[in-house]
Amino acid sequence: MSETRAVKLPTGGIRALPALPRLNLAPWLYLAPALITIVVWTYLPLIEAFQLSFYQWNMLPTSPKRFVGLANYAHLLTLPEMHAALANTAIYILGLFPMSVIIPLAVAIFTQDLKGPMRNVYRTLIFVPMIIAPVVAAIVWRWLLNEDHGLVNVALDTLGLHRIGFLQDPNFALATLIWITGWKLIGFSTLLFSAANASINPSYVEAARMDGASRCQIIRDIRLPLLSPTILLLSMMTVLFGAQWSFTYINVLTGGGPLKSTTNIFYLLWDYGFGSLSVGWSSAAGMIAFAGFTMIAFFCLRLMKRCSVYDN
Amino acid sequence: MTTSMNRVLSSGAAVEPEVSRKARPRIRPGALTIHATMILLAFIAIFPVYWMVVSSLKAENEIFSTGLWPSAPSLDNYGFVLSQIPMLRMLANTTVVAGVTAALHVLTGLFAAYALVRWRFRFSGFVYGLIALSWLVPFQVTMIPNYVLASRLGLLDTLAGLIVPHAAAAFAVLMLYHAMKSFPTEIIEAARMDGAKHWRILWEIITPNLRASLASLGILAFISAWNEYFWPLLLSRSIENSVVQIGLQMFMTQEGNLWGPLMAASTLASLPILAIYLLLQRQVIESFMKSGLR
Repeated sequence: MSETRAVKLPTGGIRALPALPRLNLAPWLYLAPALITIVVWTYLPLIEAFQLSFYQWNMLPTSPKRFVGLANYAHLLTLPEMHAALANTAIYILGLFPMSVIIPLAVAIFTQDLKGPMRNVYRTLIFVPMIIAPVVAAIVWRWLLNEDHGLVNVALDTLGLHRIGFLQDPNFALATLIWITGWKLIGFSTLLFSAANASINPSYVEAARMDGASRCQIIRDIRLPLLSPTILLLSMMTVLFGAQWSFTYINVLTGGGPLKSTTNIFYLLWDYGFGSLSVGWSSAAGMIAFAGFTMIAFFCLRLMKRCSVYDN
Repeated sequence: MTTSMNRVLSSGAAVEPEVSRKARPRIRPGALTIHATMILLAFIAIFPVYWMVVSSLKAENEIFSTGLWPSAPSLDNYGFVLSQIPMLRMLANTTVVAGVTAALHVLTGLFAAYALVRWRFRFSGFVYGLIALSWLVPFQVTMIPNYVLASRLGLLDTLAGLIVPHAAAAFAVLMLYHAMKSFPTEIIEAARMDGAKHWRILWEIITPNLRASLASLGILAFISAWNEYFWPLLLSRSIENSVVQIGLQMFMTQEGNLWGPLMAASTLASLPILAIYLLLQRQVIESFMKSGLR
């Protein structure tokens, strides 16, 4: 490779690298593969999507792009579909919290004294959903929740309850998709919390106990503050990616229906883009989503810096 | 690496109990309730997977029974799947895509991390930020320009098209960056004084010592690429050139109620990942936990 020429410069002696006066090509050569990939496939498309959000276009290379200014944005903001999708996005995210943060946190603290060989068996088992492909998870749950023959509905029937059209009933479909998304995460989150909980310096807990603190006080005043970095990390992940994670399930299982009840913002982008080929709308909605989530992300990162109690 | 994780996990649990026992009777969940909680969680996690495998082994006349084990296990469903869709071809495609993607992740990540750790150059902070923040851009936002670019490059319906955009990933760069940062600089300095070039330092000194991180990144990248659905959904046209996730989705759309074959296809698509997990479960769990969620 061609970096040898550039590398020759600093090999003279113990001379510190930063002192090199001239532009050093070597780092750029090493960076090139990753940097070019990320710029070409993430940042340039982002800029292009921003431009496209001001045009009307149907993605056919032969048809012209027509500049429409802010019309796409203005149109979207008045569209009930968009409002419903944004509301659903919020529901997806809030609905995921119990399964990605609250229950795992409670289970991790509750089971912290678990020892012995079973510990590893549980670890191994509860992690499995994380590595199962989303498409497989979708298909398996579609079978388990099938209205006529699915095991869950057969069980409901046996218990004398009504069968539920988990994916057909607009009242249940969204909750069902949240459940499947959460099913993939719950074990992983639990393990993450367990590891964080176990790494808390035991002398803190001991000291508090000597002072007569109850178990609840120890959890509230010691464990939760020391777990706050993990809590914030998982909360941030849930907020930023929760709606994205459910995309596959929406696409495979409901197509956004019934009655658009499961369409979130990311599915709407897909629907506008590759369903109705309205590139302008899709790009404009994408820009709105990107701006929103970026603001949330920076807010979360600041919160993480400020609120975390670090164990030093 | 694996052992350090276990040490962390066990030390917390081990040190706690003794001292306080004398203090007073405290409300503390008994072993039984703890086990019950974990069994419930494990059941929820594993039962759907178990049911997938069991259903795939049930004959057509038995598929609607609720028996937890088929009365006469048969592989007929698998035969049906293999005769209906080019499953083996798609599994091979997926193996190629996931394998090459994982290798590229590791390579590009290694180079970029080396550049960022070894040199302080103008814009290095900016470049780091650019790479680190790329996970903020949702793929659905850039999908149209990506699709247009891929079609302009003639990448539609090709395996290369599935690989090229994923040749580098922010998490790979960051993971290796942090691993390399903790690498003792004295060793590198010593090698440099012996006249070793960067290329050799990277391959002969750093890489062998980062084996654990590289392996865990490779596993993670392989599994993520294997399970990837969205980008193949955009690019794939013919079933012969697609990956197994797309094949599954197509099969479901066509034969949505043939539950036995559908479960057999799902099982086939999951087997390689489950096999990796069985062999390397500690490393797999750890590599997911180290990288966060992506």
